[in-house]
Amino acid sequence: MGDVISLYNDYKDHADFLTIYVREAHPTDEWQMKTNVKEDVCYAQPKNLAGRVAIANDFIKRFRYPVPFGIDDMSNAANDAYAAWPERLYVIDESGHIAYRGGMGPFHYNPKELRAWLSARYGEVNHEEKPAEQPQGQSSQPEKKS
Amino acid sequence: MRPFLKWTVAVVLLLLVAAFAVLSFIAGSPKDAYGMVRYALPHMHRGTLKPGDDAPDARLVMLDGVGSFHLRERTAGRPLVLVFGSFT
Repeated sequence: MGDVISLYNDYKDHADFLTIYVREAHPTDEWQMKTNVKEDVCYAQPKNLAGRVAIANDFIKRFRYPVPFGIDDMSNAANDAYAAWPERLYVIDESGHIAYRGGMGPFHYNPKELRAWLSARYGEVNHEEKPAEQPQGQSSQPEKKS
Repeated sequence: MRPFLKWTVAVVLLLLVAAFAVLSFIAGSPKDAYGMVRYALPHMHRGTLKPGDDAPDARLVMLDGVGSFHLRERTAGRPLVLVFGSFT
């Protein structure tokens, strides 16, 4: 979570950001993780849109999450279109095309790779983390812009 | 039951047990292995989108639970970083 907020704070002057809340990954009535219990993040899988909206608002309040937010509706249209579950990163360019496709979470969810992509395009922005590695594999190489 | 069939069934069962044991090790416990197979794998898809493809549109609901907007409405002018995820 911190990685995404850091990316947003560093690159929001260059790109727009949108978080899309999709169906829960580890709800209490499915595959709950011990870490969720430890961190008191215990929710059943929402059965309706009101449930999703309530959890999304809890999330925003708990983390004081600053990134613009949208909620996938119960048809899971955004999730299905982007093969997004449980977590994933993309960049859409100015012309409406996929410019960067991150790996499928959780194992290939890699904010550092996205940071490298943004850095290659806009230059490194001051941040707390050490310089990220160059993106590999699934992304197109962006043209650097000032 | 024919001996060949017996051995085939035994080997298949052994392989299944071994696969579950390996998955349990990877996931952390047998319970997590079951959770992964039952709840995670059916929803995990690599997808077919790739750089250069048209970005699909989708209707998204706002935090007030009432308003909505389309994802592509946010793509005019500047690149749009999409962050998909949930709370848990």
